Amino acid sequence: MIDHERPTNHPIEPLLRDAAPTAFAPGFAGRVHARLRAEREDVLPRALERHFIRIVPLAAAASLLLAAFNWWGARGAASSALDAALNLPPVTVASAYATASLFGSTGATETP
Amino acid sequence: MPSSSSDADLIARARSGDDHAFGELVARYEGAVAATAVGMLGAGDDAEDVGQETFIRFHHSLDKFRGESSLKTYLVHIAMNLSLNVLRSRRRLFARFVSREEAAADVPEPRLGPEGEYDAGELRAFVRRAVNGLSEKHRAVVVLRMFQDCSTREAAEILGVPEGTVLSRLSRALKELEPLLSPYVRGGTGTVLPENAL
Repeated sequence: MIDHERPTNHPIEPLLRDAAPTAFAPGFAGRVHARLRAEREDVLPRALERHFIRIVPLAAAASLLLAAFNWWGARGAASSALDAALNLPPVTVASAYATASLFGSTGATETP
Repeated sequence: MPSSSSDADLIARARSGDDHAFGELVARYEGAVAATAVGMLGAGDDAEDVGQETFIRFHHSLDKFRGESSLKTYLVHIAMNLSLNVLRSRRRLFARFVSREEAAADVPEPRLGPEGEYDAGELRAFVRRAVNGLSEKHRAVVVLRMFQDCSTREAAEILGVPEGTVLSRLSRALKELEPLLSPYVRGGTGTVLPENAL
């Protein structure tokens, strides 16, 4: 595969060939092994990360779809577009009292 | 101790999880990868990172390696692409502050020893730094053809350019290096002697 064509047969060519770096700092193979080992130990977090990255666009699309569906269903009734998208009920004095009665009141005004 | 096993044999063993076989491949081709990474980036952390990353990527693609090109060419190809990526990011960071001409002018000349000859190590470092002063394209060709002893065809394949481009870039690179390096060469035989020793 190696040919030895010399396009110029240039006098500085031997100098260049002699200057070729031949190795990294001692212990290179050990450092490569250490990195491989570290990568193997890191397999589960990486797999989770990969799956999470795949799920994110789907989850975002589903959220948008749900918000659009909510907004479309409540576009006339809700006080704002955000309320509609989040499917929040309109807040009135009556609904506030209704919520208080739903969870039970702990206020000091309440008498036994 | 290096074994006499063929690359194909070591790759097959590495595929089945034999770390020792993979280690032998690393030892066997460390020189080729170092010549590319250090030749392109200079000695230092970037070159070391590229060297490690080259073998890590090779390990990840052991199953995909079909042996269509030699393992050396395959590894040098990865190392060259990674080195060019590093140079691109370096260029984005530093090009505005340090010009290539300034970097090249920073090459200290080898000093004469008491014997009247240049220290071989110093001279090699000088030559490498001179190569480092070349543009990326010219440097890549010098690294592949001179440091790696790749054929013009192999260099063209690795760089994704026509063979004629490799030859013209090499010719221009040698022309650029000549004034810097020719004082250290005599007789075209690779004998390195100081000018005043003759």
